[in-house]
Amino acid sequence: MPFHRPIMVLVLLMLAGVLLWPRWGGEGSSEVRRSRLLLGTVVEITALGPDRDLLEGAVSDAFAEIERIEQLMSPHIEGSDVARLSRSDSPQPVSPETAAVLRLGLHLAAQSNGAFDLTLGRLKALWGIEGETPQVPDREAVEDALRGIGPQALRLEAPLVVKSRPELQLDLGGIAKGYAIDRAIFLLADAGVEFASVNAGGDMRLLGDRGGKRPWRIGIQHPRDPQRLLATLEVEDVAVVTSGDYERYFEQDGRRYHHLFDPRTGYPATACRSVTVVAPSAMLADALATAVFVLGPQQGISLLQYYPEAQALIIDSTGKEHQSADFAEYRL
Amino acid sequence: MTCSAVDPQELARCRRGVFLALFTALAVVLNVFEFLLPSPAPWFRLGFANILTLCALYLFDGRAAWTVSIARILVGSLVIGNLFAPGFFLALTGGVLAVSLMTGARALAGDRLGPVGASALGAVGHVLGQLLMARWLLVQHDGLWLLLPFFLAFALVTGVLNGLIAALVIEKVATHPAFASQRSTQA
Amino acid sequence: MISALWVRTTVLDRLVVVLLLVWVVASVLWAAQRPAGAHVVVERDGQVVFSAPLSEPRSARLSGPLGETVVEIEDGRARVISSPCPTKVCMGMGPASRYGDLLACVPNHLIVRIEGGRQEDTPPYDLLSR
Repeated sequence: MPFHRPIMVLVLLMLAGVLLWPRWGGEGSSEVRRSRLLLGTVVEITALGPDRDLLEGAVSDAFAEIERIEQLMSPHIEGSDVARLSRSDSPQPVSPETAAVLRLGLHLAAQSNGAFDLTLGRLKALWGIEGETPQVPDREAVEDALRGIGPQALRLEAPLVVKSRPELQLDLGGIAKGYAIDRAIFLLADAGVEFASVNAGGDMRLLGDRGGKRPWRIGIQHPRDPQRLLATLEVEDVAVVTSGDYERYFEQDGRRYHHLFDPRTGYPATACRSVTVVAPSAMLADALATAVFVLGPQQGISLLQYYPEAQALIIDSTGKEHQSADFAEYRL
Repeated sequence: MTCSAVDPQELARCRRGVFLALFTALAVVLNVFEFLLPSPAPWFRLGFANILTLCALYLFDGRAAWTVSIARILVGSLVIGNLFAPGFFLALTGGVLAVSLMTGARALAGDRLGPVGASALGAVGHVLGQLLMARWLLVQHDGLWLLLPFFLAFALVTGVLNGLIAALVIEKVATHPAFASQRSTQA
Repeated sequence: MISALWVRTTVLDRLVVVLLLVWVVASVLWAAQRPAGAHVVVERDGQVVFSAPLSEPRSARLSGPLGETVVEIEDGRARVISSPCPTKVCMGMGPASRYGDLLACVPNHLIVRIEGGRQEDTPPYDLLSR
């Protein structure tokens, strides 16, 4: 029976549509997402691109690199530069990487008038904030733990580090994580990955945008309501680090004590609830977030003027929002 | 309206108006009746009103089918009381897609396509139109498409059924003297 | 009776119905191979130790070096309701329900992740800074 040609065309198109639909939905791009427990938190690396094998290899290498930095800079690991420095009385040589991190840290310590500090090891150990049984220490113990800290506590005469007092203990908590993230990104980029994210428990750095299609969308958690967002940012190729009083804390006698200490008092800093810094490197963002959290909104924004490449969103102790000059450009 | 029994064109127009009005009224009744019937799921409709759309299509032309269909949807919604509610929009998109497919297929195939085939296409079109609108307005995620096979199967069955009924009706109505002139021109 | 009905269909009618039938079958096959719904996957030290659908209420006891962490699945959400870690960060993380959500008890070496599920349920951001 001769059929009208247009109908056959229609019919064939319909059949084709049905059969080809599953294939049209797919794309030539892969996503590799892996998480591991490192740096005391969950580190999640996401890499996008056409070559799955390349992505898997690069992500693996990136994790290995983070582990290497942890071995180098963690105060809890026996053979690390930091542990060795804390233990000894005499000047110690450190790896160039540790020296670089210390250099930025000391610079920031001076600029922030001691709000940022690299020698809070004794204080943190006293509070037990990272251990099983944290507790509020008494005033004398706190004062004793603060003895000798400050921008003058360490002197860097590369490759040697000199402590001003032998009992000082180093803790690079507010900056080393950022460095590890930067190294991971470097390794990913070096392996040929164009689009990736390295997220260490809420502190992250992005490589490129999201798969060449759109920028990365980063939500900032509300400091008091875990179900809400403070803001959503659209970014690419930057680091986003948030310091908050809600991330790690313990309660004693009905009061909450969090893990971001004010070096000037020896007690958890109270000027802010949350600080988010967007900067070209995670190390800088991490250190600035820590410093600004202690300094509070006014002094924090002043400090940021030394770093025009960094922008911040600050929620102060009353819950009020402050922004650095150009932060709004990142907001969705 | 007055009809001049002498002028054949006016007679045809008159006849057309009367029949389409009749078809629309019947379609609305069937629509409302169907709405009152218990149904296993909100959108599993039997689509009896489509029989009248098919009558309009086969006894007159595509424009007539559009008229009956759209009028039925609007008036039916008014009677049921869901004008401009989501249900109305679902029925509207379903109806539009259904009539498009039916009139389009009829235009392409002419007499080679009978009411059964057209009805099947119309039923499937109706279901698709409803699902697309529901996806956009109501459900907002693709889980809805998992229901597609069920809706399609149901539509196919009811489509064929309605088509057979429509074929019988058309056959009978076409013998009415009112269509005598049409029959002679169609020969 | 059947022949009386059959006679009223044209060849094209039958073809159309057959083709639509083919489509129905194809859509059944397609629907059958759609990805599974959302799952809760728990990993310890890189090994998957637990997996369950998010849709059924359940309580899971997961053991790690520190002891037992209990994860509860209810109302399509997974939550850590008890854990032997000192700071209980995992319990304060709130519920996980969408693809990509993560909960973790770091001291107890446990990562709870939501996998599978519909892409449209993902939150309006790619990553959360906290």
